[in-house]
Amino acid sequence: MSKSAIHLRALTHAWTGQPPLFQIEELTVTQGKHLFIQGPSGCGKSTLLSLLAGVQAVQNGVCQVLGQDMAALTAVQRDRLRGEQMGVIFQQFNLLSYLDVQANVLMPTRLFPSRAAASSRAWGSPADQAKALAQALGLAEKMWRQPINQLSVGQQQRVAAVRALMGAPELVIADEPTSALDDARQLEFLDLLLHTAEKQNTSVIMVSHNARLAHRFDQVFEMHAGGHS
Amino acid sequence: MSLWISLAWHSAWSRRFALALVTVSVSVSVLILLGVQQLREDARRSFSNALSGVDLIVGPRGSATELMLYSVFQIGRPSRNMGISGYEEIRRMPQVRWAVPIQLGDSYNGHPVLGTTATLFTEFKSQGKGLQWTQGRAFGNPADNSDAMSEVVLGAEVARRFGHRVGDKLVLTHGAGGGPEDTDHDDHPLTIVGILAATGAPIDRTVLVNLEGFEAMHQGWGMGISPKSLKSAAAALPQVANPQDLQPVSLSAVWVGLHNRAEVFSVRRKIESFNRDPLMAVLPGVALDELWQVVKVVENSLVLIGMLVAVSAMLSVAAVLLVAMSGRRKELAILRAMGAAPRALLGFVLLESVLVCLLGIVCGYAVSQLLMWGAQDVLRTGFGVMVQPGLPSGESLVSLAALFSVAVLASLMPAWRAYRLSLMDGLHPPAL
Repeated sequence: MSKSAIHLRALTHAWTGQPPLFQIEELTVTQGKHLFIQGPSGCGKSTLLSLLAGVQAVQNGVCQVLGQDMAALTAVQRDRLRGEQMGVIFQQFNLLSYLDVQANVLMPTRLFPSRAAASSRAWGSPADQAKALAQALGLAEKMWRQPINQLSVGQQQRVAAVRALMGAPELVIADEPTSALDDARQLEFLDLLLHTAEKQNTSVIMVSHNARLAHRFDQVFEMHAGGHS
Repeated sequence: MSLWISLAWHSAWSRRFALALVTVSVSVSVLILLGVQQLREDARRSFSNALSGVDLIVGPRGSATELMLYSVFQIGRPSRNMGISGYEEIRRMPQVRWAVPIQLGDSYNGHPVLGTTATLFTEFKSQGKGLQWTQGRAFGNPADNSDAMSEVVLGAEVARRFGHRVGDKLVLTHGAGGGPEDTDHDDHPLTIVGILAATGAPIDRTVLVNLEGFEAMHQGWGMGISPKSLKSAAAALPQVANPQDLQPVSLSAVWVGLHNRAEVFSVRRKIESFNRDPLMAVLPGVALDELWQVVKVVENSLVLIGMLVAVSAMLSVAAVLLVAMSGRRKELAILRAMGAAPRALLGFVLLESVLVCLLGIVCGYAVSQLLMWGAQDVLRTGFGVMVQPGLPSGESLVSLAALFSVAVLASLMPAWRAYRLSLMDGLHPPAL
């Protein structure tokens, strides 16, 4: 059996004094496969991503991410796991405005030596990988030294995707990464992201309210407000 | 670590205007505090060094502080004089190694004139060093050579200010000058025979003449009126007086050096029990201490104000950064997403505010030293204070350390806020 990127079983989460936000009986994503999570606002999609990313502690149930039992890790260990083996893309404002494109992209490999090492093993150096990824995602090299505020929203999202994929993490968590883009650009961005991720065997777990994007994913997971999934 | 420093630098640079303002406010507060402290320290050192060779100052009985101020620093003026016999008697005491008479009253373009004897040049010490000559020599003894009466020696500052050289002639003014009367001693022009090297002591600002020469200038003066204005009296004046007849009847003060400093108290007791004249003998160090006691209250309140200003500046840094933190939640979330632990973010924000405070402290210190460096001439000539710009020492070092500790404590506030926010927000800061 191939390794799983995530494996959830009987996972529930609730805010203190309130009924469970969600209850997940079983959800497994094989390493390298992509998962699309959809559901209405308030159904706990963002909270689920926080659990997967290790930002929030698991309350009940099994939450295995990249072979690690998240409930057994300390907060610092979870932060480290995220830093070393995951990439995160938000809806917008992914980048540090005071750094240029290159410095933003190289941040994960500067924060974690293991990530820089992984990058060097496969591409020679983090800078080389960044260039290859930028090319794959259609970012011109002349943008490299540009300040972030000179980029369009679409360009910023691609830079964020390059950053998330640096050092070939096993998992990319994307929270509505396309919803700030035009309809026409959404699919284009998604295809570039998924295609590039596949090449380095990175699983992408993405949350979106736009169901039309779901068909590009290997797996779709539907969440309902307050209920069982 | 270097990554975080570089990040903190870039992040701070992107908010440079707000941060520059708080840095300036810290600088100004440091400037005030250190300026007050250093001036105080330098003033004390200069004042006590100015008299390092004098064991006793003798003058008419009265206020010890006043005697010291006018006889040594030429601040204020004597209200009474002592008789010359007291000086003669002191000079004859076996414990006394040297005694220098001091006669005050005249001025040269605002600089005090000191009537004294040539002994002063060999015995006076400033900062532990004897007097040096840049040009010429001491004035002669009028008993040997009557020309010596019109010889004058300039302190370094006086010579520099008026560009005088040996051989130049000058005319002194009776009293402090500036009155409505013609009070110049232009009937007694003097010739410069020597110029002293700078010492940092008040002597740099003085014009030194023979006691006899000083007396000669005042022949025929009464009640502060020039004999020139009394035409008939002026005609009756003898032009060249006999030096032996020009011994003054009174003096402003006498500086005394002893063979053995341990005898200072017994000598003092003896001088103060002279029958003829009620005299007072003052230990310069003790008189200075008394003076500092008086000044202390003012100084301490200045230092206290400086400290309060500094603390409030640090708090304003903390407040500015604290308020700014709400606008930086996105930045914190981005760093969290890349695996930065909340503790790292605490350090990141702490680093920034500590650096801002540190920069303010360093700038404030640098500016204070620059100002002192620029004003050192004014401070020396106007106030007799030798400032020593340079690296911090003594009290300033303690203050700098204290300021830095306050800075770190104040910086903990925004850092703690960053920590709380990054825990609370996780990857999802509230939309901006």
